[in-house]
Amino acid sequence: MTRASLLLIAALRRTAGGLLLLVGASFVIYITIRSAPGDAIDAISPMGTPPEVKAKLMAEFGLDRDPLTGYVAWLSRSAVGDFGESLVFAPGATVMDVGLPAFERTLALAGLALAACLVLALLGALLLGRPHPRQQLVTGPLYFVTAAPSFVVAVLFAQGMNWFVHTYVEQGGYETPPWYPIPIYSESWMPYLFAGIVLVAGDGLFTDFLNAVRAELQGLRNAQFIAAVRAKGARTVSHIARNMVVPLVSGYAARLPIVLGGVVIVEYIFTLDGAGYLLLEAARERDFPIVVGLSVLFTATIIVVNLLADIVRALVDPREVARGG
Amino acid sequence: MSAPLLAVDDLVIEFDTQAGRRRVVDGVSFGVAEGEVLGILGESGSGKTMSTLAVLGLVAGNPGVMGGSIKVFDDGQPRELLEGLGRVIKRRGDKPARKNDRRWQRLVFRRMKPLWGRVMTAVFQNPRHSLDPLMTVGAQVEESVRLAEPALSKAEVGARAVDWLARVQMTDPSRVHGSYAHELSGGMCQRAMIAVALARRPRLLIADEPTTGLDTTVRAEIVALFKELLADRGRSMLYISHDIREVLYLADRVIVMRHGRIVEEATAADLKAGVGRRDPYTASLLAAAELPVGQQGAA
Amino acid sequence: MEAKAERLGLWSSGAVVAVVLLLGVVAPFVAYDPASAVDYDQQLVGPSAAHWFGTDGQGRDVAIRLLKGIEAFFLPGLLAGLAATTLGALAGAIAGYAEGWVRSAVLGLMQLIDTLPRLVFIILVCTILNPSISLIAGVAAVLFVPNIATVVRRKVEALASEDYILAHIAHGFRPTRILLYHIIWLQCRPLLIRQATYVFGYVLFVETALSYLGDYGVQEPTPSWGNMVAQTRELAGAAPWPWLFPALAIVITISGFLAFGNLLARREEEALR
Repeated sequence: MTRASLLLIAALRRTAGGLLLLVGASFVIYITIRSAPGDAIDAISPMGTPPEVKAKLMAEFGLDRDPLTGYVAWLSRSAVGDFGESLVFAPGATVMDVGLPAFERTLALAGLALAACLVLALLGALLLGRPHPRQQLVTGPLYFVTAAPSFVVAVLFAQGMNWFVHTYVEQGGYETPPWYPIPIYSESWMPYLFAGIVLVAGDGLFTDFLNAVRAELQGLRNAQFIAAVRAKGARTVSHIARNMVVPLVSGYAARLPIVLGGVVIVEYIFTLDGAGYLLLEAARERDFPIVVGLSVLFTATIIVVNLLADIVRALVDPREVARGG
Repeated sequence: MSAPLLAVDDLVIEFDTQAGRRRVVDGVSFGVAEGEVLGILGESGSGKTMSTLAVLGLVAGNPGVMGGSIKVFDDGQPRELLEGLGRVIKRRGDKPARKNDRRWQRLVFRRMKPLWGRVMTAVFQNPRHSLDPLMTVGAQVEESVRLAEPALSKAEVGARAVDWLARVQMTDPSRVHGSYAHELSGGMCQRAMIAVALARRPRLLIADEPTTGLDTTVRAEIVALFKELLADRGRSMLYISHDIREVLYLADRVIVMRHGRIVEEATAADLKAGVGRRDPYTASLLAAAELPVGQQGAA
Repeated sequence: MEAKAERLGLWSSGAVVAVVLLLGVVAPFVAYDPASAVDYDQQLVGPSAAHWFGTDGQGRDVAIRLLKGIEAFFLPGLLAGLAATTLGALAGAIAGYAEGWVRSAVLGLMQLIDTLPRLVFIILVCTILNPSISLIAGVAAVLFVPNIATVVRRKVEALASEDYILAHIAHGFRPTRILLYHIIWLQCRPLLIRQATYVFGYVLFVETALSYLGDYGVQEPTPSWGNMVAQTRELAGAAPWPWLFPALAIVITISGFLAFGNLLARREEEALR
């Protein structure tokens, strides 16, 4: 068989695997709903929900049937993007109407922040070069600082900002500078930038990525085939770059779940109008269809990104296809 | 005697281990002349691979090369690789203590850059890891061809690459051209690697245990291939091996290394014929290979 | 130099771990009544001899609340670390050793758990079930099983073809003994140590994050580092100590445990070589 057809088969197989995972993950989410103590419908509906809404919820989540057929009913609705209607947050609107635009913003924030993190890690690794004992004196404290949870980083950041604003106002500026991100909600992109910075710096994401990229780069520089390329007098850059694609793509996909968790925290702190903020608000007010709908969207994103990463790996690395995974 | 290509003098290589500083190459001197095949024979840990990697400028840090001189002759012009090395070695008392690996590497790489490939290149042990896993074998041979003959057109480069693959006796060169390293056997990978190295048309080919890890029959084939390629165009070569038969078969002159020192230097003809006094270690190697030992004792 | 820097790291992070463990053991024996600790004459007093870390907005001593706050995550964190590594090692051993459908089933299950976005899933669980720190720790433990199982499985698969393991098989050792003792216990211990400290740190992280994000986690007036940090964040500029000290405690504990796990694991790995 030709390489192209093998690649196609691998891609199809992986897509099927991804779909299977999505079904499985949605089943886990559904079973979690069914495992609520007492009457599941009471657990998932807000206080004072009228009985007819409760009945509708029961039907939507298949709570009136046994878990399996209930799941099938719920899945067949969710599969076409019908997660029901919002109860409290935006009564009457469908979950997708409320959730999808917010989710798009969140995805842009998380995706771009992680991409920035990747670029910075790569630059840092190139700049720092080979690990050197004395560098531990620098990277050690750096690790310490960035192991700080994102909410700690965010508050420190906000305090720093406040201090800036104070001096700004004292110097005769207007109440707050136009770029001030916290806590005013605005349509500007500034708060997103600051949220992105906290996202990159917090939870040890950057240091973790930097260490991984450095180790990968170091291993590659010491690799025998790079020595062979060097010995024949060719430039090693293109060989190293090509061989870095797979670890970078894998590293990106592997860290996405962490960033999608961090984005929830960051959106809450910076009051950004994204899916993370929506998720927390909906959870607080027990707007259950939104919570479940967003959970499924988050999970689906992780699966899709991993699938894309798999396909990129298969395209770049011929061994992946040969393994037939 | 023909013009020299390589002259190594009093080379010292050290490494830090948990048991302290260890000298893996201890004052080794050897040279290769144009058209000559020098064999370096020694067991693993004798320092033979380290010496050759140092010649290529590829010994990584952790002290590494600590002294000596390596001259590479580029059209008769000597290029000293280790000149100014003293600047990056920090001394404690009068003993060399540490060296600044990064500065050292930058220095050596800059000097090696015009020499790599054109003057000398290498075939390493472990052929599977010598080829870029993400590039087809053909593309890697083509890379060498383009470097050696920049004037060729794209089609000519492709044809030349297939030609090289045929010359290293690949059974199906055009298929191998489009294959990746993981799709080939170890022996085929080594043939491909030899094609990559030779397509670069180096003055000196360094073969560092090119048969290690291959099956016995494949080893014989690779050694025969080297012999044929040598006969083909009178190429100079530095051939490193722990197998005395391979070395005697290919080399004009042989040095034997043990514990980081040279214990014996002789022509292959003398060794084969059992002429002259032999070091006990060389004698034991000859005896083990059922070759005539000759006289023992310090030569 | 390298060894020295590493030893320094190991000792300092080891000291952090030791102090946290010691305080965690001592804390339950310290009597503390959150209600009677309130003292409105002593609001937001800075650090002094009487109040080492100052007092919070209700005049409560920050130092003692920090000490009692350890209780909130200490035991759940330890148990979660233990549970996650045990389950992960078992799942990894099974996936690495078994063949056919058993292997596929375990791998599939691991992959399934691994696709759940951790924090989002924990929030979902907390909205459905009664949120408590034990529940959070339990869910976190399960969510970390695939991570651990993957590293253990790779190790098992890599070792399965090693000569000495083959020799053990040839000597007639029982496979379970080889798997559990020679492979998991002797070879995977560094990996497991690293993962256990990671899970412990994650439980602390989730507890604090959830206190921050909503009213999950430990409820007032019982102190936890999470609710201490969450309640005082508005004051962090004017009166930093009630926020700063718990925040520092969180950062130091998490990074201390992570660094200790990493360095200890690296040392053991070197010893294995």
